[in-house]
Order: sequence, then C-alpha cells, then structure tokens
Amino acid sequence: MPISALDNMVSVGLFDANKLLEIEVIANEFNYSYIKTALNFGFLTRKKYVAFLEQEGFTMVAVREEEMDEQYINQCELHELNSILYAPLRREPDGRLLVAAADPQDEKLKTLLTIRFQMPIHFVAASDLDITWLVHIKRGEYYVKEAVFSLMRKDPEQSGLITFTDPQLIFIFGSLALFVTLLFVNFLKVAMFSNVLFSVAFFFTVLFKLYLSLNGSKAEMKELVNKAEVKALEEDTLPIYTILLPVYKEDKLIRKLIWNLRSLDYPRGKLDVKLLIEEDDDKTLNAVRNLDFPANFETIVVPFHMPKTKPKACNYGLHFCRGEYLAIYDAEDVPDSDQLKKCVVLFRKLPDEFLVLQGALNYFNKNENMLTRMFTLEYTYWFDYMLPGLMSLDIPIPLGGTSNHFKLDKLMELGGWDPFNVTEDADLGVRVFEKGYKVGILNSTTLEEANNEPFNWIRQRSRWIKGYMQTTLVHMRNPARLIRRIGWRGFLGFNFFIGGTCITFLLYPILLSFLIIYAIVKLTFVATLFPDWVLYIATFNLVAGNTMMIYVNMLSVFKRKYYELILFGALNPLYWIMHSIAAYKGLWQLIYKPFYWEKTNHGLTKVSSSGTVANAAEPAH
Amino acid sequence: MSKHLIKILTVLLIAYYIGISWLLKRHGFEHSSGLFYSEKLLLLFNAKENTILTLGFTFPTTVFLSALLFVPLGYLYAPVASTIIMMAGLFYMIVDEFKVSKFSSKIYIPIVFAIFALHPMAVFAAVTGRKNAVIALIAFLIFRSFYRYYKQPVTYHISMASLYIGCFIFSNFEFVWLVLAFFPFIFLVSLDGLMIAKDESPLFQYYEALNNRSQRRKLANRTAALYLVIFLLPLIAVLLFRSLNAQYAGSSTYFLDSPYASWRITGNLRLGNLIVSDSRNNFVYQTQIVIQGFILFITPLYVAALILFKGKLYELFTILSMLLYYSFLLLSYKFTLNLGYYLVFIPIALVTICYYGTEKYSIRTSSWIFGVSAVLTIIMGYYFFQHTASEEEYTFSKEMSTVYKNWQGPRLLSESQQVAQYISTIATDDRKILIDDASAYTIVVHIGNLNGMILPQEKAFVTILENPAKFVKYMLIAKRSNPTQNLTVLNEFNLKMFVVQKNLHLLLMYESENWAIYQIE
Repeated sequence: MPISALDNMVSVGLFDANKLLEIEVIANEFNYSYIKTALNFGFLTRKKYVAFLEQEGFTMVAVREEEMDEQYINQCELHELNSILYAPLRREPDGRLLVAAADPQDEKLKTLLTIRFQMPIHFVAASDLDITWLVHIKRGEYYVKEAVFSLMRKDPEQSGLITFTDPQLIFIFGSLALFVTLLFVNFLKVAMFSNVLFSVAFFFTVLFKLYLSLNGSKAEMKELVNKAEVKALEEDTLPIYTILLPVYKEDKLIRKLIWNLRSLDYPRGKLDVKLLIEEDDDKTLNAVRNLDFPANFETIVVPFHMPKTKPKACNYGLHFCRGEYLAIYDAEDVPDSDQLKKCVVLFRKLPDEFLVLQGALNYFNKNENMLTRMFTLEYTYWFDYMLPGLMSLDIPIPLGGTSNHFKLDKLMELGGWDPFNVTEDADLGVRVFEKGYKVGILNSTTLEEANNEPFNWIRQRSRWIKGYMQTTLVHMRNPARLIRRIGWRGFLGFNFFIGGTCITFLLYPILLSFLIIYAIVKLTFVATLFPDWVLYIATFNLVAGNTMMIYVNMLSVFKRKYYELILFGALNPLYWIMHSIAAYKGLWQLIYKPFYWEKTNHGLTKVSSSGTVANAAEPAH
Repeated sequence: MSKHLIKILTVLLIAYYIGISWLLKRHGFEHSSGLFYSEKLLLLFNAKENTILTLGFTFPTTVFLSALLFVPLGYLYAPVASTIIMMAGLFYMIVDEFKVSKFSSKIYIPIVFAIFALHPMAVFAAVTGRKNAVIALIAFLIFRSFYRYYKQPVTYHISMASLYIGCFIFSNFEFVWLVLAFFPFIFLVSLDGLMIAKDESPLFQYYEALNNRSQRRKLANRTAALYLVIFLLPLIAVLLFRSLNAQYAGSSTYFLDSPYASWRITGNLRLGNLIVSDSRNNFVYQTQIVIQGFILFITPLYVAALILFKGKLYELFTILSMLLYYSFLLLSYKFTLNLGYYLVFIPIALVTICYYGTEKYSIRTSSWIFGVSAVLTIIMGYYFFQHTASEEEYTFSKEMSTVYKNWQGPRLLSESQQVAQYISTIATDDRKILIDDASAYTIVVHIGNLNGMILPQEKAFVTILENPAKFVKYMLIAKRSNPTQNLTVLNEFNLKMFVVQKNLHLLLMYESENWAIYQIE
C-alpha cells in the first residue's frame, strides 16, 4: 500500500520507480522525508509536484497566512520539522489537529503525529518552501540567537560586537592629541616627520606585497593536487559535503546557481547544499518556487535578527549541515568542477592542523569593461600570489569571501563566523591561526562575477576595507597575546597585510596630492614640507610603490595567460584612488555604522558564465 | 657531493682571495675603483653635508650598497671584502647549481674551482673592489633564472630574472641595452608558448603566427607581456633614478657624468687616450662589432658551451643574447671595454654548460670539452691580461706574476698613500687643505678622516675656491702628468689662474709624480 505522495506518483506513472530507490538511500542518509529529498536533490520540480497534489484533490494552503496556535509547533523540534516538512497549525472544532505538510499523503508522518499529540491529524497540503519559512520563523529563535551570540559567549575577545575597546580608544585619541600638540610645538618638523613616516610606511607595505607575490609565485612550481589523484578517489569513500549559499535578493541568479551546482563533479547524494535566505527575502524564495526544473539545493530561512549579515546567516545554516566538510559559495560562483574532490584529496593529504582550504577566485566577465579588467588583475594577484605567499611564510591568511572549504566539526568548535564583522571570512582566517590551526591554499579556481559598476564597486569595497579595519581592531586588542599565539612573523605579516592595506589606501591620496601640489602648483607651503631630502624619499617611495603594485598586477596576468590585460596594470594608480574613496567610506562607516552590511548587487553583468566553466579549471596549478 | 665540501671550498677560496689582496696591497697595488667606493663610504659616514647625494647617487648603486654592508671592516677594505664575498658566493652557487647536471662532481668542482682560483679575471674581480664581481654574479643569476624558466615555466623565475636585470642595470648602466639584445629570444619564447604547429619548423611557426590575425594578436600580447614582466621594473627604476637625479642633483645623468658619483669618469680609458697609448692595447678587438671573434678567444669556455648546447632555438638565442648586447654596447659606448667586462661570459658559459651541456654528446666527451675549454680559458685569460690596454689591469697582471716574491720584499706604499701620509702631518682644523676628490679620492680615502679638509661635498666649496687664502692653508693640485687633471678645478692650469687673478702667493711643500701640495702664504 502506497504510503507517500511519491509512491502514489510512481503508481500513476508520474515518477520513476528507480529514482524512488535512489531517494530512499539519500533520505535515510540525511534523515529527510522522501518528498524533501525529491524536491531538494534534483529529482522533482515543485510545479510538477503541486500539479500532482491538485490532481489528487488537495488544495495548496497559504500556510504563512494561516491562523496558528503555537503550543503545538512548540512541541516539535526544528530539525524534525525542517527534515520532514510539516507544521502543526491549530486544533479544529472537530478535534482534529490541522497540520500543513509538504506530503499530505505521508502515512508514516500521520501515525507519528497522532501518537505524539494524542489526537486525530488532518493534513493540508502546503508548499515545502512555505513550511520551511514558517518552521524556521516559529522555531528558529534559539538557533538564530546562537548564530549571533555564540562566538561572543565562547570567546568574547574575538567578537567584533565592540568595535573599539577602551584601551584602543585611549590609544587612538592619545596619539591624535600627542600629534596635534607636537604640531603646535614644532609644526614644520612634525609635519615633515609625518610625511616621511607615511611615505615610508606606504613603500614598505607595497614592498611587502611584492615580496609576498614573489614567494607566492613559487607555489606554481608544485601542483598540490593533481588530476590523477582526483581520478583515483573512490566515490563510495567520499564524505558528505555541505555547501552553504548565503543569498539576499538574488532572485535573478537562482537559475544560474542550479546550473553551476550541476557542473560539480560530486555524487548527488553526498552533496548537502543549503541556500540561506533571509526571512524578508520573498523575491529569492519565489524565484526558487517558480523554477521550471528540479532544484538541487535545500532552502533554509534565516529568522530576522540584527545584525543582518552574511556570517549570521552562515552561522544559522551551520546548525543544519550534515557534511564532514563545508564550502561557502556565492550564488553566482562557478567553481571548477573537480573542486570538491580536490579538497577531499588535499584535506586527506595535509596534516590535521589544516582546518580550512581557500580556493582561488577569478572572474568570468573580466573583459566586460575597464573596472572588471582592473578587478580581475587585482583578484588574480591576490589569490594566485598573495595568499600562497602568506601560506609559504606561515602568516595568517584572510580568507576570501567564497570558495572556503572547512572541516565542519572544527569550524563549529571555533564558533563559526563573527556575525558582527563585515569581512567575517578574513577575520576567521586570522582566528584560525590564533587557535593554532592552519589555512591551506587549494589549486582550484572559482569564477565569480566581477563588479562592473563603479558605485556598486565602491559599496562592496568599502565593506571589505571596513571589515579589514574591524579585523585589525579585534585582533590587535591585545598585541602581546597575538604575538604569543601567532609569533612575530605572523604578527608583522598580519599588520602589514591587513592593517597595512587599510592604511595605505587611506594614505595614498594624501601623499599623491602633496606631491602633485608640489610638482605642479609649486605652493610654498607644501615646498616647506618637502625639503630636498624629504622630496627624495617621498618621490622614491611613491613612484617605486606604484611601480611595484603595477608590476605585481602584471605578474598575475602572466600566470593566468590573460595577456590582453597586461597594459591595464598600468592603470593601477587610478584604481587605487577608487580604493581610497572606498577606504574613507569604510572608515566613516566603521565609526557610525560598524555592522552595516553594504549590499553588493550581483547579476549586473551581461556576460554569461556558462562558457567559462571549462576554462576555469585549467590555469590554476 | 655534500654541501659541506662546497662550503669548505668556498671558505678556502675566500681565504685565498684575502691572501692575494693582502699581498697586492702590501706591494702598493690598489685599484682606483675600489678606492673610489671606499672614499664615498668615508664621506657618507663622516661628511656633514650632502650625504644623500653620496648615498643616493654613487654609481653603480649595487656595488656601492654592497660595499656598505662591509663598512665595519673599514672603509678601505669594505669594497674588496664585498667583491671577495661575491665571487666566493658565485663559486658556491655555480657549483651548487651543477647538481642539476649529469656531470660528475669530480669533474665540475675542480674545473670551477680552478677557474675561480686561477683565472686572472676572476681573481682581479675579487680582489680589486671593482664592479666586475657583482656583474658576474648577477649575470649568472639572470641566466639561471631564464634556464629555470625554460625547464619549468612559472612566473617566479621570470620575475626573479626581472629583478636581477634591474640590479644588472644598476651595476652598469649600459646593460639597459639588454632591452634590445633580449628581443630575439623573448619573441621566440612567446612564439613557443603559443603552441602553434609544434611539430613544424620555427619558420613555419612564424608564418602561421604572423599570417593569422588571432595568432598574431596573441603573439603580440604575449611578447609585450613578457617584455613588460622582464623589463618594467628595471626601466621604471631607471626612470625614477634619473628623475631623482634631476630633482636632487640638477641633472638626470648626474650619476653617469659626475666624477663625484661615478668612477668611470676618471677611471675608464677613452678611445682617444688609447689610440695614442703604446702597442699594448686591445681596442682593435673591439671593432669586431657584428661578430665578436674576440670573445671566442678570450673565453673558450663560452665556445664550449655553444658546442655542447642542445636545446630549443629560443634557448640558443638566450645564450647568444650577450654577444648581441656587446655589439650594441660597442656601437654606442664612448669608452673602451676593459678586459674585466668579459668576465661575464664565464658564469654564463658555466651555467649554460650546467643546463644544456650533457645531452648532445656522451658525458665523457662533454667532460673533456668542458675541461679543456676551462684550461684554455685560464691560459687565454693570462695572455689577454698581459696585453690589456687598461693600466690597472696590466699592473695587476705584473703584480700577480711576482706576488709570491713580494712576500719577502719590503712593504711598499702607493703614491696616494704617500701623499695622504704627508697631508695627515700638515692638515689640521686650523690649517685646512683644499682638495677636490673628483680626482683625489684615492688620497682622501687613505687619510681616513675628513679632519682639516675642505671638499666639494661642502656647500661652501665654491665660495672657498673663490677666495682660498681666507679659508685654507694648503691646496692639493693635480699636476699635468696626472691623467685625471682635466676633471678637477684644482689642477696646474687653474693654479696659474689663481695666482694671477687672486694674487695668491704659493709655496710648493710636497710633490709626487702626479700631485703637488702648495701652502698659501
């Protein structure tokens, strides 16, 4: 006797019996209901399923608008509600308990609920997405609070809830006061000294980046994971791999997302893909609902709680993950098809202390306009040279926003991401080091969409730089402790690479305008700040610094064989001005709106990523 | 062969170089180039004015800065110590690199050691404080980077080559011509990377690359990319350096043209001087601009490298690029090249043999060719050194032939040392001496401090020159016989002008072959 809607679909010839067997295996592995498995692992479209239910005489109930007596749902555990997809609504006048279920023909569930509530059950059909939304909103409070406050509770020193600590404020204002006082005492000397200091700091930060790049470029010499090793993997031994996809109002990208996920070479039944949607994001939810083809991801709705940030959503999603490993991608990402397998191989090869692997990021729309070209240059040197350089020198690696692959249990142990940090990934990378673990660099590329619109770019970049400032402030609360934990090399590397990056962006326009004013306008006042020897140092530092940055950009192009971009490297000084604008915006926000998440609009590109999937795999060795 | 043995041999080589330099110095032999850097170091740490000028613009920068590291050993010894360490380091790196070749360590270690210990160019480079040592070292590093890149095409090697080329140019400005000399092989490397018709001949590959629009664009992009990655840093560094010179010293070529910044203004021989010198000159060899047969004789090892070479066309062009460079150099250069310049072919030959010397013939044959060419190189080195046009190289070869006899002989002082000793006895802060170190740097450095001296380093120098009687008691004058007398205002010709125009009464206090010291009455 058929016991679920899928059995019934098979019996009327609307569903393949073999697929049902496959569903059964996956459902048992994940402890999901059959219908959840069918709808989230690419076996069945929602539209087809709804049509079947309506044909069976069910009317789809708008469960989110139904009256609800919460005493019943409160007796159920969220994981069960989410896995089986049901939501007890209220007791009807006839004594039956009204339950919204994704599979109203699920006899097993009916029996279970009858026993639990000691009353007859009346199933009504409801969209699985609406049920998901409802159960997370009603029962997700504990988990969302954990997502927000878990790190703060476990390790308050590492939480970015407090942006500036009292000692930091005293230090900052004390330094400012001292500086102003010294200016009054001897304006000329102090201004000259500051000028030299800033220009030397700028130069050394860039010099350090060149050093890192050269070190990183050595990484090309050895292929961490090769194709033969990937091929040798036995699929039966592969662990469940969770993929988190935090999105917000990314309705236009959902179709792309499915195709990108399909291109991943990993057994379907071992991919635990979670699309994390915010409570108020009906746009994305409806986009999922209206798909014409089977979705290969599970939707998780994150209940509202401030701060409304991506790390909070990811922390929330962590509670529902089943994998041994976990990867983070953005909705528009196109990872190399063998990326997950490469990670499995590399995790197995590396010592246990390696907790996370960072894949290289690059762009599929690199030739769209000037900005995307510059962005591509920057990302290429960052991920192909800088990060491997940091790894080779054993310096904390700020993780990139996506293509991070974690060992799930260790990530949970660390307390997940800091929801108050707007570059939670960079912060986590440093925290990993502080806790004695390591970050590895994976020789696999994920293609993303480069920001092609200047204002959108500045929004995104201001968030990144603000996050770097937050990260610096958090980890520099106790410099002595940081040195103890990550050593002098790590400490200096961290300050040069993360703190230094923000400072160079802030200083760049000041130094540049001083020099331009001196060289072009010849103002006497500025000339006094630039006596001959200062001018020598300042000119040298600025020109040499800019040249090195241009050079580093060009190197990366060389590696990726993006030869047509090489001349654009020369525009890097202009690109840096945009960075500086973003840096000042970030600094302003750090003071006034530290947790505000500047949303980056995706899907603006007119370039398709589909043709680039194969190409992505090739260059990153 | 263990690294331990190589280290022991390196230390032995250092000791050997120190011994020779000590013996040479004992007999009064000093190279003016080394003394030039020593004097600049003395100025850097003792002068109160224009120290940035000294630190920033003394050229070649690499030589000066490397000597700076050895200042704790004394200003006089720092440049020589630096070149000794560089040559020993070069020996170490070459022997270490030979591990990648199939040659037996019993073959390559004695050969390389013999070259470094016996070849006069190598010893000369090590013990004189000249730039030849740093040039040889960097040439080795550049070619090693290129060869490593060919074996494993990763950006690291090519970017290291770029950094080394930058250092190369700052060791000898004329290396900027490498931009042209490297073009053939860079173009060929680009072509090879396009993977067009791999099995066809290079000519067919050019045809394909140049007659297909897409391939042509790729080829142009790749060539430009390689060029930029290799030359961007060096060329911008040159541009920056020139602009700093223009801003700070008032001339973008100050570092090349000023006798206060560059030794070669006073130290090198101009063609004009050479033509009137005696038969002991080699400038005629340097008229072989197109094909430099001269080099085949001076460095048979380089010929052996070409004979043993088996590789791709672009690899061959890489080896030949230095010949091409010397052609450009001889076309443009207003000086003749001392023999020391050709030292660069030895490390290039060695690294080439190391990477490409074992595939064409059997190891036995290759070893014979390698060994015989090394012996010939040493012999030819002696021959050419005895016939060099450079006075200091010639003196060196003479001194070397008697170096062991000199051990027993009395300690000799060079002319500069003698003049310096005299000045030390007369000059005090109350009775100062006016010296122009454009030509008298060899004397200044032997004095060892700046007490009692007025040098052009001081901003008031020109004022003092206008009225010397008021400020100084003595003047050091370059005599007519002094080859550098045209480079200084304090020469005999100007002295007569002083006497007439400023009504100076001078008393000759001391005289040597090239110098005279006058007291102002």
